[in-house]
Amino acid sequence: MNQTLQTAGATAPAADADNVAALHGVDFAIDDKPIFRGLDIAIRRGEVTAIMGPSGTGKTTLLRLITGQLRADAGRVVVEGRDVAGLSRRELYAMRRRIGMLFQNGALLTDLDVFENVAFPLRENARLPERLLRSIVLTKLQAVGLRGAARLKPQQLSGGMGRRVALARAIVMDPQLLLYDEPFAGLDPISMGVVMRLIRSLNDALGISSVVVTHDVREISQIADLSYILSGGQVVASGSPAELREHPSPVVHQFMDGLADGPVPFHYPAPDYVAQLLDRSEAA
Amino acid sequence: MTSLLAEMFGNTRRFLERLGALAWFSLQVLRQTPAALLRPRLVVEQVYHSGALSLVIIMTCGLFIGMVIGLQGYDLLQRIGSEEALGVGAALSLLKELGPVVTALLFAGRAGTALASELGLMRATDQLAAMEIMAVDPMRRVVLPRFLGGLIAMPLLTAIFIVVAIFGVQLVGVQFFGIDQGQFWSQMRSAVEPGDVYEGLIKGLVFGMSCSLIAVFEGYTADPTAEGVARATTRTVVISAVVTLVLDYILTALML
Repeated sequence: MNQTLQTAGATAPAADADNVAALHGVDFAIDDKPIFRGLDIAIRRGEVTAIMGPSGTGKTTLLRLITGQLRADAGRVVVEGRDVAGLSRRELYAMRRRIGMLFQNGALLTDLDVFENVAFPLRENARLPERLLRSIVLTKLQAVGLRGAARLKPQQLSGGMGRRVALARAIVMDPQLLLYDEPFAGLDPISMGVVMRLIRSLNDALGISSVVVTHDVREISQIADLSYILSGGQVVASGSPAELREHPSPVVHQFMDGLADGPVPFHYPAPDYVAQLLDRSEAA
Repeated sequence: MTSLLAEMFGNTRRFLERLGALAWFSLQVLRQTPAALLRPRLVVEQVYHSGALSLVIIMTCGLFIGMVIGLQGYDLLQRIGSEEALGVGAALSLLKELGPVVTALLFAGRAGTALASELGLMRATDQLAAMEIMAVDPMRRVVLPRFLGGLIAMPLLTAIFIVVAIFGVQLVGVQFFGIDQGQFWSQMRSAVEPGDVYEGLIKGLVFGMSCSLIAVFEGYTADPTAEGVARATTRTVVISAVVTLVLDYILTALML
């Protein structure tokens, strides 16, 4: 059930009204190695959208295209109805103030404590009275259950706590779109469950849209409204988790069932195994 | 032969690319400096990190270098019966050459490496990328305060180094070898001119600019890996040392 998107101009066309962000026929390559070829993706407003796929398929790159950190070689990336490539630096920063992003490693500023990390976007982007700023930060920390850790340094936090602090920081500016880059990676089951519930509850409570880049199929299936599976630089399948499980594509089947070998091969391309073992010239 | 030429061509091209990147980075830094000065608290913090935290090493090295100059200078001058000139010789050599150059080398080794590795680690751990997503310009928020902190700290460190080193010379020359204290100081006062002091401070300022710029450039553009950060730190020391000595020759030739 691939999404069919209408093209979008500098202002929001009617077809993009339901989408907070969309990629239209995007091509992108790094050092002549193609990452995306004609990629079409729509991020629907108010929903949790999962982007899945084998490692190296460009899931994080996709987030960086949405935030304007990378520019597409061809095609268009549209956020809130505006083509990211056409934005001036000032407009790009204004757009980013409406986007929150949770990095895979949290990316907390190591010279600041938890409170100051969460307060950082407010201090830099808004001139708020100290008392109001304090209230906002404590509210966000309360939302992720870490108000009591406000004066700890990032080095004193566990992986799960760091991820939650980063989440509090990501929502402190009340964004319209929240991007998660591998939010479950390296977490124990308890932390994973906490982060999973936070993603869903924050999305619903704040009325925002979320994009979760992950390859944790089981976890994301419980909270995603719509999932895309990327492979070979394109969307190979999209739909609800239940629809994806029934998808006929071998790539989707391999990914959803976690099979070691299939269309995505276990072995990196190599010469014949026996011939290489017997090749004396290489050994010498 | 062909591969050797190709390698030379490749190395030259990479060097020129890097030089171009440094020139572009320097322009960005200069263009945004006025905006960074509007947040003096960030700059003062960096003066503390680059300057105050370097004080111990600067003062220790200054004292011992001064004492060595005292020993060598006295040994040389007493052969020609001019021990009283120790103060003048030491002060001029420290003010015009040794003070700024040695301080710059120590600064590159202590503060420069700290700057480069801190920025490189911030790059490797996505802290700089996170700032960009939070609509905060890392150049303005992180790079410029560090550059300006180094720029301000270097002339101050140079002055402190020179003062402590002269104290070291006096310690050896006057207290140990018994040179007349009055002659030591009065000859120094009569021979040293304001221009000599300015020369040292100008060199300190220029070396501060070059060493800080190299450190923040190497850190900011480091590959986001452990090896990349290590390489950036090493390059900071090596390039700063070479650039300091080249600039020292140019400045000396201009100010003679």
